[in-house]
Order: sequence, then C-alpha cells, then structure tokens
Amino acid sequence: MSESQAEAAPDRILLPRRLRAPEVVGLVGDIQRRAESGPVILDFRAVEEFDSSTLALLSYVRSRRTGVSTVNIGGALARAEESFVRRPSAVPLETPPSGSRPVRFFRSVADRFLFRLRSLGRFLAMFGDEVYHLGVYLRERRGVYPGETWNQMFFMGYRSFPIVCLLLFLVGVTISISSADQLRLFGAEIYIADLIGYAMLRELVPLMTGVILAGKVGAAVTAELASMTALEEVDALRTMGLVPEKFLMVPRLLAITLVVPLLVAMADVAGILGGIVVARVTFGMLPSAFLEQMANTVDWTDFAWGLVKTVVFGWAVVVGSGFKGLTVGRSAEEVGRATTESVVLSITLIIVIDCIFAFVLY
Amino acid sequence: MDIISARGLTVGYGRMEVLRDLSFVIPEGRITVVMGVSGSGKSTLLKTLAGLLPPLAGEFDFAGARVDYRSEASLRLLYGRIGVLYQGGALLNGLTLFENVALPIRMHYPEMPEDMVRDMAHASLAQVEMAGAAAKYPAELSGGMRKRGALARALVLDPDVVFCDEPSSGLDPITSSLLDDLLLRLKETFKMTLVVVTHELRSIDRVADRVLVIDGGGLRFSGGSPELAAADDPFIRTFFLKRDSHDDA
Repeated sequence: MSESQAEAAPDRILLPRRLRAPEVVGLVGDIQRRAESGPVILDFRAVEEFDSSTLALLSYVRSRRTGVSTVNIGGALARAEESFVRRPSAVPLETPPSGSRPVRFFRSVADRFLFRLRSLGRFLAMFGDEVYHLGVYLRERRGVYPGETWNQMFFMGYRSFPIVCLLLFLVGVTISISSADQLRLFGAEIYIADLIGYAMLRELVPLMTGVILAGKVGAAVTAELASMTALEEVDALRTMGLVPEKFLMVPRLLAITLVVPLLVAMADVAGILGGIVVARVTFGMLPSAFLEQMANTVDWTDFAWGLVKTVVFGWAVVVGSGFKGLTVGRSAEEVGRATTESVVLSITLIIVIDCIFAFVLY
Repeated sequence: MDIISARGLTVGYGRMEVLRDLSFVIPEGRITVVMGVSGSGKSTLLKTLAGLLPPLAGEFDFAGARVDYRSEASLRLLYGRIGVLYQGGALLNGLTLFENVALPIRMHYPEMPEDMVRDMAHASLAQVEMAGAAAKYPAELSGGMRKRGALARALVLDPDVVFCDEPSSGLDPITSSLLDDLLLRLKETFKMTLVVVTHELRSIDRVADRVLVIDGGGLRFSGGSPELAAADDPFIRTFFLKRDSHDDA
C-alpha cells in the first residue's frame, strides 16, 4: 500500500435500507473494487430489511481480507448477527485427514478393499445361512408365511415367461442370421441346427434367462426388501421372533428353484424356434430336418446342464439381490442405489459362475 | 421389581458411540418414558433394548437374565417376551391389518386352529379399537390407525414389555392423546410394562411413571415424574419450560 493511499480518507459505503440477496450480489464486487484503492467503512446502520444473504455478507467482510477496515452495524441486524452468525456450532467440526496425500490415497484404497472383503464375507455367510434356512424349512415347514411361495412363483415365473420367450426367440433368430452366411460359405448349412441346438441349450438360454431374471426379479426383490428395511418392517419381523433371512428369502429361493425349469424349457423351445424359422427362410430347411440334425448333436444332458446352470444363476440372483436389500441403509437414495447395485452384482455373479461351469464342463 | 436393568451400557453404530455408560432400571408394570431432544439417541437405546443393535459396551438384564447378543437363544428369548411399536408402524404392506396382527400367532403357533387365531387377532384389534379396519391394507389406513394397528400386533402375544418408539410423532394432538389413553389403559388393565420413547411434553406429563432423560451422549436424569418436575437441572428446565438456555445461564 502506498503512502498516499494510507493517508487517504476511508471510503464510506452507506448501505441501503433494504439489503437482500439481489442487492448483496451487486455490492460484493463494488466493495472489493473500492477496497483495492483504500480503506473502506461499511455502514449497515440504515439497514432494516435483510435476509440470510445480508448476514453472509457481514460474515464475509469480517472473516476475509476484503480491505474493509470498519463495519458499523446496529439494531435488528446486530441482534440477528448475534443470534445466527456468532453462535458456536453445535456440531463438532470434522478433523482434517492426517498424513500426506500418498498415505491418504493408500489408506483410502485399503479401506475400500477391506470394505469389499467384509461385504464378500457377509454375502458368503448369508448364502450359507440361506441354504441352512431352506433345509430347516423343508424339514419343519414353519417360519415362512403360508402362500408366499406361490405368490413369488407367480411373479417370477408367469410374469417373466413372455419376456424370456420373446428375447430367446430373437436371440435364436439373430444367431442364425449372423452365422448363416459363414455356414453357406463352406456349404455347411445343415450345421445351423447343431449350432443353434448346442448354443441354446448349453449357453445362451441359461445366460440370457439369468440376465433377464437379474433385471426383472433381482431388481424387484432388492427394491421390495430394501423398502421393508428402510421402513423398519425387517426390524419388526425380527422383534416378532421371526428370522427375516428365512421369512423373506426362503419363499423366493423355493419359487426360483421351481419356476426355472419351466422357464428354461420354454426358453429352449423359443430359441430353437428362432433358429428353425431362419433356417426355413434362409436355406429352405424343413423343421423336421432341422430337429433331426439337432438331435444328432445334442441330447438330454445338454438340456440338464443348461437347467442346472440356470437354477444356480437364479439362486445367485435371489441371494445377491436379497443381500443388497437386507443390508441397505434407511434412506430412499440408498434403496435406489441398492437396486442398481443388485442388478450389477447379480450379472457379475452369473458371468463368474458361468465361467466356472465352462471350466468344469468343457 | 425391575424388568430391565442396564449397567454401563454404551450404544452406537460401528465405532460411533451415541450414548455412553448408561446405568438405569425399568420397573415392571409401569410406563417408563425415555425423553430427549431429536437425535439424542433415544431410538438407538430402544433398538439395543429390543435386541436389534448390540451394545458397544456394558450389559443389560431382561427379567433377571442377561441378554447375550452373541447367543441366538438369548435373543430369541428376548424377542418372545417383548413387543415393539415402531415409529411408522412397520406393518407389512402386502398383508391386511388382520393378517399383520395374526402373523406372530401363525408363525409361533402354526398348529393353532384358525378360529383361535382369528379370535386372538380380533381381540387384540378390539383392544386398540381397530376391529372395524381388520380387512384393510396398511396403505388404506391413516397414520394414527397404522400405529394402533401396529400396537395390536405388538400386543397380540401378550408381551412382558412393549417398546413404543415415538408413538405420537406425526399425529394430531387428539389422536396422540387417544394413543396415550390407550397406553395408560394397557398398563392399568394388563399391568403391562411400557417403555415409551418420546419428546412430546404432553405425553410425558400424562403417561410417565418414570422418566429417563438423555442428553449430550449420556443419562441426565433417571427418576419418577414428580422428581423430574422438581429437578434443578438447566437442561430439564429448558426442555420443560421451553426457555432459551441462554436465559438460564
């Protein structure tokens, strides 16, 4: 600051009677500009109409080096500042994280890793618990609401059947069309039946059915259980002496185990039908010839393995989505997040399990 | 006789302690009110006493037996002797009110004849004057009706202790007062022990035999209603007289 500026008379800014957000916004720039050329006195004494932005302005000019040398206030504004601005916070301030940036980074990575590890442990424990609860239920036939398994079967089976069949039919059509040209190139049109039969029964029907169940059943299970958790209904079940992991999960596990064979059988038919339609249109192959050729390659074990895989996928979907639903927090935001995460978790589990099956079966 | 006695109880979530080192008793056949400002940890304490949240330290006895959170049998014993009225009712939305009330009977006594189940559930609904709404789903009930329905479910197996978490929250003064009457009637008729978590002064005045005041992460007061009225503690005076604490200081 130059000597001439230091000796200059302070610039007095008399603030208007009404000082609300629009006036405050205009003033901030003006104050800063005038403060650059010398000391400024802000006179709030005429202010009668004010709001929280006025208090924020007061706090701003007092706490920051804006070049404002003096602040004069009085009346209602002084009382408001006393009440709202200077009162110490009831909430203790968060202590800043200690350590250097790389240390903090590694600590945060380690924390996340441990959190994931603990979640995995809890998930596996829940999976084990569900197997146990299902076994106990099948032996004792108690601890589950009567009729709930039928309700779940209706939802998981009947409601999923149209979409599963439609999508698998379209998958059959798509695979057939995309492989038709290559097969024609080698004069191997007849093998389209082998390709569709094998791919559908062993791989595509289980995988696609699992993914559709993850999106349709898994998301619904998580949303329902997460809402129940958030609304304390799960706590209520527990304090009634019931085991929510049994009461809520066993009917769903039973339902998925019972409906998956039907879904798989119908999805197999739909997928193969897609292949038959394309083979008929593209190569003029008769359906009977298609089925005869297919029967030379695939047998009941392919169907059975597809069935076993889909049941395991169904279990992964129900336990994964149940895990997400029952371990959710209490807010609506967490319910939404858990639902999204459950679909991701279910699909991840399906792919991982499918990969394990591939190693075991081939 | 005291039905619950806690010694050095610390409750909270994970590493976060909400209430520290509480020692208190809940007498049998009385209404004990747990009061404190919002966020003071009343509901957290209730969760621990109801067997939902393990204490971080300390212990408590229920009817003379220590509650061991690591033992499923101990918790099952506790659950079998308590009823809980949750803040929002926590009725299962997929079931009618009757089915909600009948649920604990059907689950615990599956061999009980359906006629008896029906009689017990209707008797419990009649106690809370909700027999007429038995066929309705929770979504079709008002807030006060949902709470009364949830109370019927909590009472249906004749628990030794009923925990009520903010029974008057979100209710108008008339409905809230009717609920208080109901709690008093339950105590007087069935000699039931009730633990009521609330910050409603009107409710505290009407129903409390004994009061636990929670503030600043600890127990500020534990005693009868008359002692509370005479208490010299600035926080309690502020709470009851609604006077700015700065004026007292």
